[in-house]
This record gives sequence, structure tokens and C-alpha cells, in this order.
Amino acid sequence: MDFYASVQAVINGLLTGALYALVGMGLALIFGVMRIVNFAHGAFMMLGMYATYVLFTRTDLSPYLLFIVTGILLFAIGYAIYFGLLRPIHGKSDFMQILLTLGIGLIATDGVLLAFGADYHQINIPLLGKNLRFGQHLSVNAPWVVSFGIAVLLAFALYLFVMRTMTGRAARAIAQNRYAAPLMGINVFRVQAISFAVGIAAAGIAGGLLLPVFYIYPQVGDQFTLKAFVMVVLGGMESIVGAALAGLVLGVVESLTSLYWGNEWALAVDFVIFLLVLSLKPSGIFGRQRA
Amino acid sequence: MRRSHLIAALVVFVLSLLVPLVVQTDYMLQVLFRIYLFAALGLAWNLVGGYAGQLSLGHAAYFGAGAYGLALFSGRLGVSPWIAVLMGVAVALACALLIGGVSFRLRGPYFVLATIAFAEVLRLIAKNLPEVTGGDVGVQVPALFHGNVNRAFYWAAVVLTALAFATTLAISRARFGYYLLAIREDEDTALSVGIGAARNKLAALLVSAALTALAGALYASLFLYVVPDQVLSIDVSNEIAIVAMLGGAGTALGPIVGSLVLESASEIFKNIFREAHLLIYGVLLVMVVLFLPEGIVGTISAFLRRRAMFGGIQASAKGVAGD
Repeated sequence: MDFYASVQAVINGLLTGALYALVGMGLALIFGVMRIVNFAHGAFMMLGMYATYVLFTRTDLSPYLLFIVTGILLFAIGYAIYFGLLRPIHGKSDFMQILLTLGIGLIATDGVLLAFGADYHQINIPLLGKNLRFGQHLSVNAPWVVSFGIAVLLAFALYLFVMRTMTGRAARAIAQNRYAAPLMGINVFRVQAISFAVGIAAAGIAGGLLLPVFYIYPQVGDQFTLKAFVMVVLGGMESIVGAALAGLVLGVVESLTSLYWGNEWALAVDFVIFLLVLSLKPSGIFGRQRA
Repeated sequence: MRRSHLIAALVVFVLSLLVPLVVQTDYMLQVLFRIYLFAALGLAWNLVGGYAGQLSLGHAAYFGAGAYGLALFSGRLGVSPWIAVLMGVAVALACALLIGGVSFRLRGPYFVLATIAFAEVLRLIAKNLPEVTGGDVGVQVPALFHGNVNRAFYWAAVVLTALAFATTLAISRARFGYYLLAIREDEDTALSVGIGAARNKLAALLVSAALTALAGALYASLFLYVVPDQVLSIDVSNEIAIVAMLGGAGTALGPIVGSLVLESASEIFKNIFREAHLLIYGVLLVMVVLFLPEGIVGTISAFLRRRAMFGGIQASAKGVAGD
């Protein structure tokens, strides 16, 4: 393999990684900060993809505008699910949350399967045919670059939300001490609902941004649930930035694995890294200490 | 367990064995096979997930080990099928040692994620090593029974369920069973009174894995063919856990009731929703968590206990009034 192939793989990996980062940051907010174990994260990303797909086929607007609508939609879904399903089991064991979100994921996936069938769908936008060339050897597909740019902006916005807004501060306060936070006048349920909804909107938007460069089918989100958990664990539980970095790392690792060992091993490498991190350095590569 | 319960269990067992005298169609026998197979799987899972309280969502690993063990040891190495089944169980035990060794050090969601990741790695290995496993194309599985196979497989599933049930009863009444409950209720306290949590959890997982592998071998042999996405997929792990949770985790009867309800419902919905039949799993999961967190059997027995207690109070009150 020549040098340029590797560089190209790293570039492609970073482009994918930015979208992974958005999915991972969403879960870092939900799981890392709020301690809600969300096994439906990938399913929400899939819903984001289908929502954008339906909006695109109905309105013919660019998916790079439609992701805003998708984000709002997924935020509403997340908010409703928190108050309708997650809040009633607040304080119960992790297992109940796992089973509940697993159930929500199955309902979402098979509901979409029922509505749209198992067929693969893809959208066609003019941008898909354009490639940006760098020198003789390197090139990137234009929609990836646009998706990358938007993902980076949104990741930064998400970071600001968690670090700078009152809601974000409240969310981190709850993470630090869930008993003291309400005593400080924080409405735990409202903050958790907003954080959950924002996290899910992030996954949905990432799905919308992936749509132009991805095939969609009902089970497309399944692998992303696990990948998102890999990112959160890799990045160190409470760290939104860690999850984002882990997303980029994961993108590059997968891309290089695909290049040298074949595409089919990429996912296996993810999980092996995950198991190694869990067993050797459970505080994550970028993290400090797990509570 | 009271003598009357034991007799009832034996009667149900014998009646189950006699079912093929009445039910003759292949379709019905296969549905019943599936109900008993998943009852056995749920019982096996229950030892780890219910009694020890370790929510494994990676039992497909042991199921697949049993299925692929039978297929590969018999097909590639020419070992006789029943010996190959035992070798598959040995592979499952080896997997359990590795998986348990790593993941039992983790708690809560990390444990669950580790079990999923292990099963997924096994699935991907089976998919990506076509020279060994046949890859996505799959591999042939030898027949364990000849002649009237549907009846034979049904009987085998009933016997396996009985074996899993007897194992569950034996464990739940032994010191070992109480250790598992103690670990489930409070691992730190269990450790502090000298219960080796890691050792006991691993022992439970080994028993569970062996039973699961037997079920995997049966399943594969009925279809005579096995592909990774069928026996090693996360859907299998989920289904096993749902069966036990629906019926009632940590109860001996729960997984059997759970399998009866889930597999019947799934069979009905398969005809309505076609490939989207997992929808019913999702709906049942959400319902169980929200309304029946102790499962069907757990909820009913809690109700009966309450009533017995209340009835006892009433009776004694009447007794006092009568005096």
C-alpha cells in the first residue's frame, strides 16, 4: 500500500469521524452526563435519516437545510419519550432503562420497517458527483466535506450548550451530585428531558447529514448504538469532548482497517478496542476517573 | 418446593412428551419446539440474568458456539454428531470463561455492553472467516435425529427444558443459589460476608452457557444449516433475555411462561407483520418495564403472597371474633 492510500484513508476517516463524533457526543450527554442508558441511540439516528429522507422526497429541499427540521423533530420525540416513558421509571435500576430503551429501539426500527419496507434507499443530490482534488493523489467527495463542516459546527454548538448555558451547567451539576442538584433549585426532570432530547436530536441530525452519502435501511442504526457507546467509553464517561475525539479516532481506525484488512473487519476492530479499553483502562483513553 | 409442586411439574413434563400423539402437523410441532427451546434458553439465561442479576445481552455467543460447534467439528473434522455437540458445549464453556473473566469485573451498563461486544466479535469472526466457518453463505449442520425429525426435535427440546428447569430448582435451593441472590441484591455486601462474587458469577455463567450451547446445537440441527446472522445475532441474545424478563427473571417458572407468551405472540404477529415481527418484542419489552417489572410470574406470585398474608390476617381476625 502506498503512502497516499494511507493519507487518503485518514482523510476519509476524519470525515466519517466527525459524523460519528456528533452521534457519540449525543450519547455522551445522555449516558455520560445524565446516566440514562440509551440503547435506542442508533435507532434515533436511523429515524433522523428517514425523517430527512421523507422530507427530501416531499419538498426537494437540500438535505443540508432539512437537517434543521429533522433536529427539531427528533428533539420533540426525545422530549416526549423522556416524559412519557423514561420519567416513570426514574430511580429504577439501569437494567430497566436498558430494557426500556432496547424496546423503544425495536419499536422504532420495526415501525420503520413496516412503514417503508426493508429496501435500501438513497437520495441523489447534484453535489454527489463533485470531487475536490488535492494534488494528483488525494480527493474527497464534496458532500462529505459539507457534512463534515456542518458536523464540526454543530459539535462545537453542542459543546457550548453543555459548558456555557444554564441548562448545560444544570446537567453537569446533576451529573456531579444528583441529590444536591435539586436542593440548588435545579428542576432535575426538566433538565434531564432537555438533555435527553438534545442528545437524540444530535444523533438524528448526524443521521440526516449521513443521508446523502449513505444507504438507508431500517436496521442501519443498530451498529451505531454500539459504536456510540464505544465512543463514550473511549472518550471517558463524562467528557463531551472526549467522545468527539473518540469519534474521530474511531473513524480513522475503521478507515485504516478497511484499507489494510478489508471493510468487513472494521466493526470487529471497534469492538475489540472497546473490550480492551473496558478491561484495561475503564476510565477511557481521554478520561480521568470514572465515578 | 412442595411435593405437590414436584408432582405437578412431572405431570406437565409427561403430558408435554405425549403432545405429539395429538399434534401431528409439522408446523405446530415446530412452533412447540420453538416454545420449549426458548423456555430452555430463558431458564439458562435466568441463572445469570435473573438469579445472579447480571443482565447478559450476549447469550448469542454460547448459542452460536453450540450451533457452530456441531456444524464444524462434525462437518470439517468428521467427529460423530453427538460428540460434536459436546465439543460445541466445550467451546461455549471456553467462551464463557473468557467473556465472564473480562466482563464480570464490570458493573451495570458496562457489563451489558461487554457481553454484547463479545457476541458481536464472534459474529463478525464467523462472517469474515469463510474458509473456516463458511462465512455469510453458512455451513451445513448434521442431523441429530432421523425419521420423524419434527417429533424427535420436539422431544429433545422438552427434555432440554426439563433439564434446565431441574438445574434451576437445584441451584435455587442450594447454597450456591443463595450466594447468587446475595450478589444480585448487593454485590459489595456479599463480598464483605465472604461470598466470592467473581467465582460464583462465573460458575453460574458456565452452567448457563452449557445449556445455551445445547439449545444452539438443537436449533441448528433442525434447520440443517447455520449462518452467522441467524445464530450469533444480537436478536437472539435479546429474544432470550426478553423471554426471561417477560415471564419473570429470578423465578423458576418465569422463562417457561415467558417463552409460551412471547413465542406464541411472535408466531401470530409473524403472519400479520411479516418481517417486522420484532415490533411485538419491542412493545412487550416496554410494557414489561412499565407495568410488570417483575414479569408475569413474579407479579402473580407477589399478588398471591399478598393475598395469602391478607387472608391469613382475616382468618385470624375471624378466629378472635369467634372466641
